[in-house]
This record gives sequence, C-alpha cells and structure tokens, in this order.
Amino acid sequence: MAEDVFLSDDLLRQLMSVGEVDLLVGMSSHNAANTVSHALDAIEESFQRNFVRQRVVIVHVGGGDKDEDGVVAKGHGNLAETGLRLPGITSLRTSHRVTANVPDPPSRGIALRTILAAADLLRARACAVVSPGVSNLTPDSIASLLRPVYREKFDFAAPLYARNKYQGLLARNLLYPMSRALFGCGIRELFSDEWGFSGRLASLCLNQDVWHEEAIQARPEAWMAVSAISSDFRCCQAFLGEKPQAAKGLGTDIVEVLRQTVGTLFWCLETQQSWWWDCGRSQPAPAFGPDHELTADPTDLDRHRIFEMFRSGVTELEPILSSILDPETHSEIKSIVSREEGKFRFKSDIWVRTLYDFAASYHHAVINRDHLVQALAPLYRGMTYSFLVEHSDSSPADMEAASELLCGEFELQKPYLMERWKAKIEVKS
Amino acid sequence: MVSETRKESPSLMPQKDNLWYKDAVIYQLHVRTFCDSNADGIGDFAGLTQRLDYLQELGITAIWLLPFYPSPLRDDGYDIADYTSVHGSYGSLEDFKTFLAEAHRRGLRIIIEMVLNHTSDQHPWFKEARSSRDNPRRDWYVWSDTDTRYQGVPIVFVDTETSNWAWDPISKSYYWHRFFSHQPDLNFDNPAVFEAVWEVMKFWLNLGVDGFRLDAVAYLVEREGTLCENLPETHAIIRELRRRLDLAYPGAMLLAEANQWPADVRAYFGDGDEFHAAFHFPLMPRMFMAVKLEDRKPIIEILDQTPEIPDSCQWFIFLRNHDELTLEMVTDVERDYMYDEYAMDRTMRINRGIRRRLAPMMDNDRRRIELLNGLLMSMPGTPIVYYGDEIGMGDNIYLGDRNGVRTPMQWNSALNAGFSLADPERLYAPVISNAVYGYQAVNADSQNRSEHSLLRWMKSLLEVRNAFQVFSRGTIQFLNPSNHRVLAYMRQFGGETVLVVNNLSSSAQAVELDVQRYKGYIPIEMFGRNLFPRFGNVPYLLTLGPYQFYWFQLRRI
Repeated sequence: MAEDVFLSDDLLRQLMSVGEVDLLVGMSSHNAANTVSHALDAIEESFQRNFVRQRVVIVHVGGGDKDEDGVVAKGHGNLAETGLRLPGITSLRTSHRVTANVPDPPSRGIALRTILAAADLLRARACAVVSPGVSNLTPDSIASLLRPVYREKFDFAAPLYARNKYQGLLARNLLYPMSRALFGCGIRELFSDEWGFSGRLASLCLNQDVWHEEAIQARPEAWMAVSAISSDFRCCQAFLGEKPQAAKGLGTDIVEVLRQTVGTLFWCLETQQSWWWDCGRSQPAPAFGPDHELTADPTDLDRHRIFEMFRSGVTELEPILSSILDPETHSEIKSIVSREEGKFRFKSDIWVRTLYDFAASYHHAVINRDHLVQALAPLYRGMTYSFLVEHSDSSPADMEAASELLCGEFELQKPYLMERWKAKIEVKS
Repeated sequence: MVSETRKESPSLMPQKDNLWYKDAVIYQLHVRTFCDSNADGIGDFAGLTQRLDYLQELGITAIWLLPFYPSPLRDDGYDIADYTSVHGSYGSLEDFKTFLAEAHRRGLRIIIEMVLNHTSDQHPWFKEARSSRDNPRRDWYVWSDTDTRYQGVPIVFVDTETSNWAWDPISKSYYWHRFFSHQPDLNFDNPAVFEAVWEVMKFWLNLGVDGFRLDAVAYLVEREGTLCENLPETHAIIRELRRRLDLAYPGAMLLAEANQWPADVRAYFGDGDEFHAAFHFPLMPRMFMAVKLEDRKPIIEILDQTPEIPDSCQWFIFLRNHDELTLEMVTDVERDYMYDEYAMDRTMRINRGIRRRLAPMMDNDRRRIELLNGLLMSMPGTPIVYYGDEIGMGDNIYLGDRNGVRTPMQWNSALNAGFSLADPERLYAPVISNAVYGYQAVNADSQNRSEHSLLRWMKSLLEVRNAFQVFSRGTIQFLNPSNHRVLAYMRQFGGETVLVVNNLSSSAQAVELDVQRYKGYIPIEMFGRNLFPRFGNVPYLLTLGPYQFYWFQLRRI
C-alpha cells in the first residue's frame, strides 16, 4: 500500500469543509479556463436538475491558468450564493467545488488518484470523472453516468456512444473483443474520458500500490474497469449520445494511441492474470439508455495509404516481429503481406492469434515492452484496411454480427493464449 | 410594566418603552387549552389566571391569546360571532379583566386576536346582511349574483373548499369567503365596516390590552384582475387604523399575519406607519429544513432576501403555532422534501402544511429541540413560544383539522394531566397519553422538579436572552465559514456584540471562523460564563458536538 502523502494541506482543508457527500464529479484540466467553466456549469446544472436533494461536490484537479486564474479561483469553496441559478430550479443544499491546484499539467493518473482520495475521504456513494475537453458534455450525460451507480448500485459505469460505423475501430476490433474474452465482461468502451464509479471502487483502487505505473499515468480508466471486473463488482454501460469527435491532430497518432491503450490492456493482463486465467464465458454488461445503432456516414479514411503503411511497416519490422510472433502466425502474416491490395484480407483467426502472440510476448518481455506495443501498429493498420474493405457496404446489423463473431473468435482462442503465456520463450537481450 | 424578575442592563432598557414588542418573548396559547378552573373540560380565563406565575417564571414577557370570542367554533374561534364578549366556555368578560390585571401585575403584556377579514356566518352583522338585499348591512359583506368574479384567486383551505364563493340560499346570491364557507369576508370598501371594526378595537384597548394580531390581513380588499391580496387599498386601511391607534393608544401594537414572501410583507410595515410587527413566515420552514439537510443554505438564502424594515418595526419569528407548519412560502422541491422528511404519514399533512408539534418533528431528540430553540432565540426578531413546546409536548394527528397540536396543557401526571378535574370524556380534546409524549412522562410539574429538564433549560435560555437586548434589536452579519453545516453570525447592538455558532449536523464538526476583524476580543460563553481563547490573527477554530450551539459575548478587555 502506498504510504506517501500526496494530498496537500489546502486540499485537505477544503475536503474537511465539504464533509460526507452522496455524489462527486471530478475532472482535471490545465490552461483550459473556458472549457472548465463550461464543464462546471454543466455539472452544476446536472446536480440541480437531477439530484436536487443529494450532497454534492465537484473536484477539479488542475491549474496553470495564469491569465484566467479567476475562473479556477472562483470555483473554490461554497456555491450557496454564487453558483449557477436555473430558473424554476431550487438547489436545496450547498454545492461545493474543491480545487487541487498543481503546478504542472497533471497526468491522468495523478488527477484520478486525487479524485479517488477525495471520494474516499468524503465517503462519496457515486462518482464520475468527466473531461472538460469533451465537446458534448451535458447535464444529461453526467447524470447518465451517476444514476446507475447511485440508484442502481453498480460499481462501474462505462460510457456507451452512438458511433459512425467507421469510428472506434481500435475498440471494435481489438480492445473490446479482447477484454471481453479475457475478463469476461462486455464493456465496449474500456478507454474513455468519462465514466462513473462507486465510492467502494474508489477506495479499492486508491489503496492499490500502482500509482507509479506508466499504464496508470496514461489511461487509468481501463485499469479501474478491470479492477472492478476482477473484484467481482457490478459493471454496466451508460449511453451518453454521440461520441465526440477528437480534434484533428489529437489522438490520431496510432502509435501513441496503441501505446496507451493496448499497452495498458497488456499490463492489466499481467496484473490480473489470476482473474482472467480462470474466467469463463463473457457476460454482457447491462446498458442504460435508449437503444441505438451505428450510423453509416461516409468516411474520409485513405484505404490505399493505410494498406501501404501496413505493408511497409510489416516489412521494416520483420526482425522484431519474428521475435514476437509465433512462427506459424508470422508465416501467415508474411503470406498476406505479399497479396495484392484488392485481394488482401486479414482474417479474424489470424488477427486474434497475432494479438495473443503479442500479449504473451509482452508477458515474457521478449523485447522492450514499449517497443513491442509499437510494433503492433502496422498490423493494426492491416486489420483496419481489411475491415474497411469488408464492411464498406455492410449494414449496422451486419457489422454488429461481425463484431460478435470476432468476440467469439477471441474467446475460442483463449487456450492458445494461455499456452503461449505458459511456454518458455527465449528472451533476446 | 417591566417585570421585576427581568434582569436587564439599566443603560439599555428605558423606563417607558413603546417598543416593548421588539424586546418581548411571546407565549402563544388558546385559553381553552391551558387550564380548566370549573371542571367542565374546557380551559378558561380563571384557570389561565391561576397559571400566570408559571408563565412569568418561564421568562416570557407577553401572551398572545388565540380567539376567545363567542363563536360556533367551526374554525377554532376564528369564526367570530360577537367581537366584544367572551365565549361562555372560557368565562366572562369580568374573568378576562381579572386575567388582564393579573398579567399586567406580573409584567406580562397581552396580545389578542382581531379577525378583521371575516366573521362567522352566525355573527349578527351577517345574519342581517343576508336577510335581504335591502338590509342596511347588506353591503357589509361581498356579494355577487355569480361566482365568476375574481377569477384565479387561490383557495386557502384547499383540503375543504372548492371555491371562494358560497351560495346563500336566503338572499339567493353568492358571498365571498377566502377561508371556510362559514366565514364570509367583510367588505372594507364600505366605510361603515371600518368604523365598526375600529369600535371593536377601541373596546379592547380601553380594557387595557397591549396589542392585536390582525388575522388574514392580506385579504381585506378585493379587486378584479388581481389575486385579491396585498392590495394598495388594504394598506390604506391599515395606515388609518395605525394612525388612530398611535393617537389614542400609544404603545399599543399591531401584528400582521401575512403569509407572504418577506419582500411582500415589507409593504405592511409601510414607513413605520402601518404594522409594528409581522410574522416572518418563510424563515420558519427553512429552519426545519436546514436541520434536516444539515446545511445552513435555506436560512441564509431567506434572510438574504429579507428586506430592511423601519427601525420601529419588528419581525416576529416562531417554530410552531396553532396552525399547520405552512409550506406555502417554499418551492415545490422544498415542499416535497419537507413532506418526505417530516410528514411521511399523510395523516400528518393538511392544506399545504404539516400538522405536528415541535418535539415529534424532532423525533423527541432533546439536542435538536434545543438547537431549534437556540436559533429561535438568537435570530433577529421577536420569538414566539407555542404553549407546550417548552416541555416538549407531543401531538395527536388523528384529531382532525389542526386540533392535534391544540391538546390540553400537561401540568402533571395526575388526572387529565392536571388540566381539568372533569371526567376525561368531557375534555374538549383528549390529553396526549402515549408512552413517549403522554402526560405521565411529559408534564410541567415533573420538569420543574428536574434540574436538567427541557423546561429548566428553556428558562435559562430565556433568562440569557432577556438579559441582552442585542438579540432583540441587534443587526445580524453571517460569517459563512467553509463548513456549510455550521451557521454562524454576529449580532450587534449598541456596544454589545454576540457571536452565535450553531452546528446543524448530527455529527461533531470543526469550523474555522473568520473573526480577524475582532482581533483582541475575548469570547465569553453566555450560559456558563466561561472564557474562551482570545481572537487573534488567524481563523478561530471551534469544535461543536452534534447539534450543539454557542452564544459568545465578545468583550474587549
């Protein structure tokens, strides 16, 4: 258990004034005064419209707003007199805002740890983390994350989005089916900027000695979800509407995205082996909110470029791939790389074996783990190209069916992973 | 008429004080409920007179009597059939005069009800008015051939009335009534009505009463296209009453019963030329709300909205009274919350309110009862104690209407709680006899004998309050510490400063108070007279137990 003290006296003093709460919403920001202001208003409005009797607090981890310190400073303390006033709505209780000022941009891990500590100390029953940068943050979406936890007693509420059929391909083809097969819980959005959780999950996660891990610093939400699943806590999904589009230039570096997501997933496999090893068939995660379908809006993804990057990447990384992949898998990959673009298909069984080879090699640390994950990039591009071609005319129902088949393939080949996991593999120095 | 038992600082209390109502502690009672001297099961003035020592020893300084006039008693006496007499069940006019003299002898002032808005339908005025359309008193009431005038005006007694018009089968027309249909509204557009009412008031003033609570004063006048409340014409009537009162009876007080938002009640003070005092209705439910929420927000908000009033005027504040705990001056969200927290059993609800007493609403939690009384005695305004609340009496929600909070006073554990020697079946209402609030457990006699009883505590509370005019006349400044469960404020008057700190929470609290501007002052806790550490340069740390409060007199020595 971590023994270092990381809560500042100022933050502790603020928490003392708040006392026990029913609901806590946390967020972090840096140099984002305008978006913070919008987010605070949305949270306040959500509290007043949906949780008027509950004791509530907003925990903001941030700072660095040199020119607009006023926004952060004003957010400190009680909102009895200065908070958002909605016509026709009366807030029964004092609404609190707590600010943890940090000099440097807080990593997601540090921000989450602070929020979890606040949730633990304030004995919050239901919590949510939101991002000021999310463009579609609304009072309703915040309430959708809190309600399953507060009213239905779930411990983790992952978001669920209405997506375009070409959105979220990493989640659709890798993160979701793999995590579902191995951890046994069908959470589609394991990696997100917003989620809900219970106070008891907050306490569980806070007391784990993982805060120095890079995976936690980068994408702690997946680790929280996996911790909930592996502790047999109740997990669900909450529909939040359309998935906000990432701004151009942000989140589009696939190598970095893979490092953060797949790297975290592989790390979770390492730390939760005792759970997934014996985990049986996956169970669906209950979903709250309206039914929704994929939309079929066209995409501007350049398929040809994706294919070329796949082929060139696999060729360049040949020596590295040979140390990661099982020889049979590697042979299959080399075989499909040589095919013409129009005839190329990355079959599901090969894709799954590829990923399981990577996971097992990560476990055995055959090469530097960071480099290992990065080496997945060209193969992921190949899978993406194949997907785009195969489903260019697919209906949303067809795509869901294909997704289910892929999930089935991951579950089917789990023994393969276990075998590779246990095998003695030579580690190249 | 200052009580000899009252401790006061000579420099603060003038000899003749026309502002006595600002410093008063009022005790509200119905003569019927208090003490029965002739064993007919109904309290009377002779019995009440016998109990004046008890009231004087309690520390109250004025008594507000609910209506005792001849009446069919279909609205507990607010349906008056004769304005210048005493209902036979309560005694005679001579009995009243005796009571008045004895009260004054003990330094207790007397405030009586004056229901101007309406009479009983059994009043001779109405009987004459309805007898024919040509009767000279016809125009003393508000008549119409249809029930469509004054559309949209809210009904007050929503549980029992469906219209503000009632059909009179005798004169074959409708008459206006804002309350029960047997309480026709007087027509103040008729100058004769005003003069008649003034004569009634003079009658009682000449006997020596010290003031009037004017019931339902907001509804005196009707005008088409309005809600028939708070109209300018109503204020004109009040101003004229006040003018005559000041001229002929200086020192007599007019108290307004106007269940409105503070900003609307403000108008009833005028420029110090209308009412001397008015109830602060919206504060009352918010004190209950704050304790349940464990959050000072409701109290702060309503007092922030409370306007300044003329120096000679005063708010009257209270926790409970003879009516339901009204939830008219709250939002729908707040009303629902109050119902859910204090009146889950729908039998506890009536009209838009809760018909329970203080102690049951506090689950008989002594600490919460003390906290609420502490708030009552330390907030700005003249406090009113409802009879029986000083011993923590319970209620009987099964008695119908609001009678559950009007049960006989519990004096001792003997027959009928010492209220009456009549057969129990003959009592006007049964005494409370359950295991928790029954008269065997809760009565004035046993509490007088117990040093640490609620009654003895109330006496000490009033003793401290009465000793410091800062509570009755001082300003209020909220400190708003970051701990929202603590309500802290400064009261200041003249050279006196008092710090009041209240823990609204069921758990112990720490609070840091920003009192640096009072650096160097020594806080002296006012009940034990113990010294606390001097205020310094840093926020002052206090810890409070569950529902605990402090009153500190600040001295600079």
